[in-house]
Amino acid sequence: MAAQQGQVFLDELEIDEAEVDRRKEFLEFGPADEEALETLNELARKYADPVIEDLYRHFLAFDETKAFFRDPRVLTRVKGLQKEYFLRLTQGDYGADYVANRLRIGTVHESINLAPKWYLGGYNFYLRAVASRVFEAFGKTPEKALSVFQSLMKLVFMDIGLAVDTYIFARESTMRKQQEAIQELSTPVLQIRERLLLLPIIGIIDSQRARLITESLLQAIRANRAKVVVMDITGVGTIDSKVANHLIQTVSAAKLMGASVIVTGLSAEVAQALVSLGIALEKLNTVGDLQGGIEEAERLLGYRVSRLPAPASDTRSA
Amino acid sequence: MRVPILKQGDVLIASIQAALSDQELLNFREALAEQVGAYRARGVVIDVTALDVLDSFATRTLRDVAHAARLRGAKTVVVGIQPEVAFAMVQLGLALESVPTALDLEEGMALLTSGRTGDGGDAG
Repeated sequence: MAAQQGQVFLDELEIDEAEVDRRKEFLEFGPADEEALETLNELARKYADPVIEDLYRHFLAFDETKAFFRDPRVLTRVKGLQKEYFLRLTQGDYGADYVANRLRIGTVHESINLAPKWYLGGYNFYLRAVASRVFEAFGKTPEKALSVFQSLMKLVFMDIGLAVDTYIFARESTMRKQQEAIQELSTPVLQIRERLLLLPIIGIIDSQRARLITESLLQAIRANRAKVVVMDITGVGTIDSKVANHLIQTVSAAKLMGASVIVTGLSAEVAQALVSLGIALEKLNTVGDLQGGIEEAERLLGYRVSRLPAPASDTRSA
Repeated sequence: MRVPILKQGDVLIASIQAALSDQELLNFREALAEQVGAYRARGVVIDVTALDVLDSFATRTLRDVAHAARLRGAKTVVVGIQPEVAFAMVQLGLALESVPTALDLEEGMALLTSGRTGDGGDAG
């Protein structure tokens, strides 16, 4: 189950075997490095506990990171996982399963809101602790120690790269979801009378949104057999020449389908901005406010709205 | 292919059924200008419902057809422009200018028989 989740992430992040190989290539991580790391395994077993104890002592010394370990049971569990992770670095076979596991770890860190700065800082502490022990163990042959340590660095940097990817991916997917939500909210086309549509536009209009607005309006014109559309832009804060052109395009497209568009709700600032931009507005049929626009639309459609005489019951009782 | 031109009262209805080549468009323009005179038509409806693309040449030809018919005494309405086509046209900056447009054949006929001139023109 857990492994499967990692696999899904591999797909969504578009990290496949080829991508992993490419990353290793760039890090110059090869079979020699794998071998070197495996020779460290024994050492890693020996030092895993003290290194991890040091690491968590460091974490607990800072309020920001301490906050994650309030519950002692959590601390014990996390230490166990950390040991697994630490030993895994020197156990060889750095293929798809390894990557999936690393991505999952990144996702967990992201989901508990551990900011990358703490994650990276922790990693740095880790490396320093390991380095001093490796050099200690290889006492007489520091060049051997250096080469082994460099192999470890390569692998660790691959891990960090993957973890950072999961952070970015998580943020991006949040943004995507929000964008979709906004888009769904953004373009209602409402029929308020037979053959009369209301298109209230609120917020910022960019090219993509203008396109969506135009498309949904044109579809609605056909579906409702609309003849007049009132487009209310009271909720549009600012209009630049680009947005104005989008609006003019929407109006022209609607006209090609036989519907006339009345634009309402141009604020004083918007009106002045449009005039000073020198945008040709002859194409727009504008009316001051939404009420005026609907009245004008009713006139075009031949409706006459009149107030009913006072209800009969009232006059009788009076 | 030839565009069939049907007579309904004093209105001619031309329904374009498939994308036309440039030559076919020119033939259509000629045939329509002829028939407006021959049938003493007062109105013309050009139906483009079946078209899923209108390029610049087609747009210009439709405009020319409408203007020519106008000069021969018949008001011309283009009907049935699809949403996608309308959108593409404005994106490409193509316009029918003073030629009135309507949603479909029914609307186009209503526009012609209502006698209100410039209905489409002043809306845009």
